[in-house]
Amino acid sequence: MSGNKEVLVEVKNVDITFGSGKKIFRAVTNASFNIYKGETFALVGESGSGKTTIARAIIRLNNTSAGEILFKGKKINGKLSKEDRTWVQRNIQMIFQDPAASLNERATIDYCISEGLYNFHLYKDEADRQRKVDDALNAVGLLPEHKSRYPHEFSGGQRQRVGIARAMIMEPEFIIADEPISALDVSIRAQVLNLMNKFKDERGLTYMFIAHDLSVVRYFADRIAVIHNGRIVEVAPALDLFRYPIHPYTQSLLQAVPMPDPKIEKAKQLKVYDNSVEEESADDGALTEIIPGHYIFMNEKQRSGFEAKLKEMKELEKNQ
Amino acid sequence: MTEMNRDLFELQIADDSESEHIASPQYSYWRSVFRKFFSSKLAIFMMILSLIVILLSIFQPMFSGYDPNVTPNINRPEMKYIRPNSTYWFGTDDVGNSLFDAVWKGTGTSLFISFMATFITTVLGVVIGMWWGFSKRVDAIMIEVYNIVSNIPATLIAMILAYALGAGPWQLIFALAVTSWVNNAYFIRVQVMIIRDREYNLASRCLGTPTWKIITHNILPYLVSVIMTSVSRDVPSFISYEVFLSYIGVGLGQQYISLGRMIQQYSPYMTSTPYLFWIPVAISALISVSLYIVGQTLADASDPRTHMV
Repeated sequence: MSGNKEVLVEVKNVDITFGSGKKIFRAVTNASFNIYKGETFALVGESGSGKTTIARAIIRLNNTSAGEILFKGKKINGKLSKEDRTWVQRNIQMIFQDPAASLNERATIDYCISEGLYNFHLYKDEADRQRKVDDALNAVGLLPEHKSRYPHEFSGGQRQRVGIARAMIMEPEFIIADEPISALDVSIRAQVLNLMNKFKDERGLTYMFIAHDLSVVRYFADRIAVIHNGRIVEVAPALDLFRYPIHPYTQSLLQAVPMPDPKIEKAKQLKVYDNSVEEESADDGALTEIIPGHYIFMNEKQRSGFEAKLKEMKELEKNQ
Repeated sequence: MTEMNRDLFELQIADDSESEHIASPQYSYWRSVFRKFFSSKLAIFMMILSLIVILLSIFQPMFSGYDPNVTPNINRPEMKYIRPNSTYWFGTDDVGNSLFDAVWKGTGTSLFISFMATFITTVLGVVIGMWWGFSKRVDAIMIEVYNIVSNIPATLIAMILAYALGAGPWQLIFALAVTSWVNNAYFIRVQVMIIRDREYNLASRCLGTPTWKIITHNILPYLVSVIMTSVSRDVPSFISYEVFLSYIGVGLGQQYISLGRMIQQYSPYMTSTPYLFWIPVAISALISVSLYIVGQTLADASDPRTHMV
């Protein structure tokens, strides 16, 4: 499936470390994945697994210590010329997790939304800027009268939509959404997700969606990467991943999703993830394709075990 | 029981945009600051008091033409040490001049020194503190400068400067600024570091906002109340510092008059003619306390967290 699609973002063997010397901390190890144009790529994992760190490295907020990140085939990590930096800022935008913290409380909504326009002077005159801001507000379901308001006057869902409008006004091709709904009230999560889907359809956007909530990812993503302790353990199309969760960490993650059925929940045998699986493959392991499009982090020794597991799952499926 | 009937119902179409309206009146930062400030009666009283003192110290010397070096009554003993009365409101001093004239001239000098020193240290502190807090490279250098400058006793520097440069108000302002700007800058640096890596600043960087614009649009507005606090602390502390330096004899020279100089000069008269000593002390205390309370109330009022009541 990867052959006929255009690769938009390519992350190749990226390491991200913080600190130096003895206090060095490796947040992400040897991460590699592709994001294809027009898809929603989800990165799931527990808190502190390095999801946000990778996302911030793509948008150049974190430095990488090894590897390459390519956007449309052009290297975007490390030192860049001013034009290239501008090009990245124009084309990659981010939606932040906490709508309360990611808006400047001392600026009006007008300034918050037109900040990017001001920086690159993306408007002909003042009237054109006003029109663009009005359009952006309308597109996210807010009213032009909100321009003179301050962020603290809005509800969480409204603020997150301001955050989306601020990213959309730059007309980017690629959007990183860093847990955009986890700080929101359950009742408005769907509203924000639908809005993001609407923009994807209208503008052919590509999303990288970071989440720890698998039930949302199942609904929203085309392909999913599972990350654990800074290492990507499994990459697969969304349906495939839920059908054949091969890596033990993915299995335990999927089991954590509660089912709204007390009988199933009572009968559930919880699998506790045992780190030794990963440790065994930590040194010589690599992401290996096990079914087309479905990658598992493993070494050669583990291959037969994983393949047997896959076979077992397929058998089970047939019998049902 | 009435029968369920279609006619009883009326079709209502939900309008999502209705729920987006914000009913509360427009919020304006500065209007809220002033409303909050003027809701404190004590602050208004203190502001009027300090305004009276400031205006008196500006205009009274213009009318009296007081000059500490002009002493027409020095050979008339009957003009000296007159206790406060209806002619000489604050009495007369040891050379027969009206203390009322001297006090306001002296207050003017003290206020001028303190306001100028506060202005210089605040501007320097904010500008340097911003870069200090933002850039790791500047931080590495500045933290060493801070360690050195802040570990030399300020009084010692002030004394050396006073001896080297002479004893005028500008020299004193220079000495005060040299010894305190680094503390202001350090204070601002810490505040900048606290909010530097907040998410909205990361968002601005993603949108391509240059650093200077992040400083002026994202950081400075958050520091208004912090800077206000620092100013309201600095003004009275510089007044006291001037008094202290003059008192130990390294402040202003004989040809100038200030509250500090007066307190130093009249401290031997504390028992014989107490008003000569206590009136300047009282004025000095009055300015310090009133300016401090006004400044603190303004600092509180400029913190938007107090606006949401």
